[in-house]
Amino acid sequence: MSSASDIDHSELVVTKAWDSSLFKRLFRYVRPHKRLFFASFFVLLLLFAGELLGTRIWRGAIDGPIKDAVGQADKSPYLSELYLWVAGYLALIAFTTVLRYFETATLTKTGQAIVHDLRSAVFRHIQRLDLGFFDKRPTGSLVTRVTTDIENLSEMFTSGVIVLLFDSIKVLVVLGVLLTINVKLALITMATTPILIGVSLAFRGGARRAHREVRARLSLLNGYLQEVLNGIRVVQVFRREERVGGRFDDALKQYFIANKRTIFLFALFFPMMSFAVYIIQGAALWAGIKSIVAVDLTYGEFVQFWLLLNMLVRPIRDLGERYNILQSAFASAERVFQVMDTEAEVVTPAAPKTIAAAGTSPHVTFEDVHFRYVPETPVLKGVSFEVPRGKTVAVVGATGAGKSTLVNLLLRYYDVESGHIRLDGADIREVDLEEVRSRFGLVLQEDFLFAGTVRDNLVMEREGVTESSLQDALVAAQAKDLVEAMNGELDAEVAERGSTFSTGERQLLAMARALAANPDFVILDEATAAVDSATEHRIELATAELLKGRSALVIAHRLSTIRDADEILVMARGEIRERGTHAELLAQDGLYAKLHALQFTGAA
Amino acid sequence: MSILLRFFKRFLLYRGALLLGLICIPLAQLADVGITLLVGNSLDRASEATDYEWLTTVLMLMGVYAVGHCVMRFFQRWLIVVVSRQVEVDMKNELFQKLTSLPFAFHDRSRSGDVVSRLTSDVESVRMVLGPGMMYTLGALIIVPISLGILFTIEPLLAVLMVIPMFAMGFTMKLLSGRLHKQSTAVQESIAGISHRAQENFGGIRVVKGYAREDQQARLFESTSAVNRDNQVELGRARGLTHAAIHGSFDLTFAVILIVGGVAAIDRTLPVGDLFKFIDLTLKVFWPLISIGWILGMLPRAVASAERIEELLNEENPIQDGELRLAPADVSGAVAFENVSFTYERGTAPALANISVSIGSGETLGIVGPTGSGKSTLLNLVGRLFEADSGHVLLDDHSVKDLPLDTLRGVLGYVPQDSFLFSEPYDENIRFGADHDLSDDEIDDLIERVAMASEVAEFVDGKKTLVGERGVTLSGGQRQRTCIARALARDPKVLVLDDCLSAIDTETERELLGSLRAAGQGRTVLVAAHRLTTVASADRILVLAADGSVETVGTHAELIDKPGWYAETWEQQQRTESLAQSIEREVQTTSTTGAPAGDAQ
Repeated sequence: MSSASDIDHSELVVTKAWDSSLFKRLFRYVRPHKRLFFASFFVLLLLFAGELLGTRIWRGAIDGPIKDAVGQADKSPYLSELYLWVAGYLALIAFTTVLRYFETATLTKTGQAIVHDLRSAVFRHIQRLDLGFFDKRPTGSLVTRVTTDIENLSEMFTSGVIVLLFDSIKVLVVLGVLLTINVKLALITMATTPILIGVSLAFRGGARRAHREVRARLSLLNGYLQEVLNGIRVVQVFRREERVGGRFDDALKQYFIANKRTIFLFALFFPMMSFAVYIIQGAALWAGIKSIVAVDLTYGEFVQFWLLLNMLVRPIRDLGERYNILQSAFASAERVFQVMDTEAEVVTPAAPKTIAAAGTSPHVTFEDVHFRYVPETPVLKGVSFEVPRGKTVAVVGATGAGKSTLVNLLLRYYDVESGHIRLDGADIREVDLEEVRSRFGLVLQEDFLFAGTVRDNLVMEREGVTESSLQDALVAAQAKDLVEAMNGELDAEVAERGSTFSTGERQLLAMARALAANPDFVILDEATAAVDSATEHRIELATAELLKGRSALVIAHRLSTIRDADEILVMARGEIRERGTHAELLAQDGLYAKLHALQFTGAA
Repeated sequence: MSILLRFFKRFLLYRGALLLGLICIPLAQLADVGITLLVGNSLDRASEATDYEWLTTVLMLMGVYAVGHCVMRFFQRWLIVVVSRQVEVDMKNELFQKLTSLPFAFHDRSRSGDVVSRLTSDVESVRMVLGPGMMYTLGALIIVPISLGILFTIEPLLAVLMVIPMFAMGFTMKLLSGRLHKQSTAVQESIAGISHRAQENFGGIRVVKGYAREDQQARLFESTSAVNRDNQVELGRARGLTHAAIHGSFDLTFAVILIVGGVAAIDRTLPVGDLFKFIDLTLKVFWPLISIGWILGMLPRAVASAERIEELLNEENPIQDGELRLAPADVSGAVAFENVSFTYERGTAPALANISVSIGSGETLGIVGPTGSGKSTLLNLVGRLFEADSGHVLLDDHSVKDLPLDTLRGVLGYVPQDSFLFSEPYDENIRFGADHDLSDDEIDDLIERVAMASEVAEFVDGKKTLVGERGVTLSGGQRQRTCIARALARDPKVLVLDDCLSAIDTETERELLGSLRAAGQGRTVLVAAHRLTTVASADRILVLAADGSVETVGTHAELIDKPGWYAETWEQQQRTESLAQSIEREVQTTSTTGAPAGDAQ
């Protein structure tokens, strides 16, 4: 439970805090929002000017009326002068207070506008990538690209890059203003400021590591808690409450130790920053008092100096934190652009061939198709067959025989390695990708329902799906009463991943979805999961309705579907072993016949 | 509020460190105030001074104060925050123990996300207020009166007037914190929404691409993302408002100093050095004051959290040890249900109605029936995961309620339906079952008995391989067999198998059942199944009806001749026994190439 491998690796990408090529690329997303971006900058600038002016007013008031009034009998002219300064000060406060609202609001608006565009672009791009890309990566890590990584970038735009840039300007300008007040004091400050910056930067790395460790330990702890809750039945029946309690305590101790390290660092950091400030203040006091005694420096100047010093501390103290924000933002940007740089290989050719328009059943041929997902294991070894117009071809065979691969290739989820798949004579690689896919009606084994209403899921915003075609499809797919039983009928919300529906019901809905668009060609991957006999019967009826008069490629598990097919392909190990109609195959007395006989004598 | 005091008692366990930390707070503050006074006084002295010999003393004193302040501040934070984390550890341990001890019915009715948040966000919000919160508040409560007191002795009117904007600031902070909290919750929710959309889309990419729905999906995603953007912007506005309010009232404090202090200075009742004290002390009380507002804003949430935690800790556990003293070794393993009925708390209709069936020790009882007929529920009653509402569940003629839990659960080997395994090394998962330490040989033997030996040998680290995402991902069948090994490790008198062979192919099932029977001499077996071949050889088969009542009881031979659910389902299952599976088996036995099957996609 305590090895380094426990730490989330995605956070371990080491990136420079500043990478100008990455930044240039990010800046492309800033361009459309240039005006907002510069508006934020302008607000910060005005605010800073206001703060500077505030310190100047203090100096003016002290060196003006307050100083001049010394020893004067009639105080009233000085009081009036003071009121002028106060009036100015109040006006300034009103001004800066409004600006402070815009400081945060505008920065957020800018950052969010930029990352919304970026997030949408990343999502669009990922969606267009090949299935091979999705096979290699867990869904969770792809989700991170459009969530956590984008959040990091948003953080960078809101409180990272603009503010950091601005803070640096602030420090330089304040030091400059100090120079105009008193050279000696300014030089002393400049000589001591590096201590402050040094402490801030030295602390940065440690804080990051410590925080990361705490996060990792906490997620382990919560992960274990979740796991135990999931398995509470087992824990209790086996009387292992103490054992899991011990493990939890171990994880908790690790978390506590990580926490202590963070606490120590922060307990050290704040006093050290204060101490550095005290050093500057001490030096300033020493030089300042000397100057005052030597009548080199006025009280007003000293007070302004003191206030300006205070303005320096915060930007420098936050420097480390901003640096960390930048660093993790660049790491995220790198991961995001890595995905953006991945190109899809299965794409529409530059000059797509035209094929017969939708509305006629296409003629599909597989010609000596070879395919492998990974180099060492061929999955299809020279498969040839055809699905003539209006005919149904059923494929039978075990898991791993290559049945689903036929579907994957026909839909161009992947491209064949050699051989051809033709749609009305045209190689599907030479036709527009969307045109190919839109010809098929698809019913997958564990068909996927999306969050939204039942209607959204059945219509999917396809052209050609009308209210009446939807109603017809529901009737044909035996799903009408299923939908009617739901609260809200077609407008009922579907639970996450359609979990409220059983496998059988999901398949019926998927059939309705396919039927609603009246597809030319049906691809059906029958569910293998056991369903009760009533649902079984409905599925049989719906299947018959689905296949009627259409070309179809069916990965079949139901004997009724197999028996009714125009041709049955018996697949094993990436090859077609036998083919023919049910009657022909039985007459062939091969594999199929043998198994069929075996099953119906009940010997299996 | 008093509830928070009760939680604070947990902090008193570490009163030594806590007290030291608390003492550090005023000391640190006093040193800080001292520095302001030093500088202010020096300014006044400078106006009359001709030399600056005295400055050395001032600087040395300032150095002492500075070091004192920093050291105290370090210890204050270190001691108090560490204690608060220690209390967090205690609370979490206590909650965890409570959770594992609570009856299954509790877990069944509560959503696990809610329970987890008791241990995470609720503990954190209580800790935050009582630990760091207290530190900041106490700090503020000390430095503010001290500063104001000192300033009052200098210029009473000014000290009184400057209090007004200061408290206005604390008040606004408290006022706005509700809005801030609401907005940030909205942001969190919309981020979760984005995550769901993406998860769904990438997970269902085959459907998306198959229907060429990329554009439609992108539009959906964009609108979800836009909701998040708008929420973020709203939160930004709320933050901007808070920000403006805080700084505005702070600046107003300065304005009060400028006008009242300025007038006093012109009247020559207030030296510039004293004016400086006003300015510098205001700078120093700024953040402490804000923190008070921040804590006040968090209080309601912390109280609510504390109440939820207390509610969980006070949750009663109705499932207690029975009075009867009986050692596990003295149990023979006969099981009987007498008129047992059970209704789930959230259910309207009974899950089980008047179930009566019994099985002698060493015999096998099969339990079948349509989905939702209560097969698992019935099995859960044996180990008292749930308690029957009426009727009796008997083990060796003793009601399970009369037995000590250690005895009852000690003789049960339970294999759950969801084949739950821990993300621990493979062999640890099996050791989990035994009350004593198992030797490696015994583990190997168990692995052998559930027909996993060749598969385990292929894992990267053999039986030491981690199970789960970071190690080996087991197939459904492998998980089920491992769960059986875990149950056998207990050497149970009664083996409870809850539909745990569904993902195992018929061939392996037959082998496994044979091995179970061989190992199960003298073991009572209760087995619920969806696939009837699993129970075909049982001594008795209980057929449950969809409404949770007994349809019939009999042996396989009796049942297949009797018209009814069993005979009907048996025939259907025989018919649909996968043609595909048979073909593969046939090809495997006839094939001479012996090449492994291709990657399934």
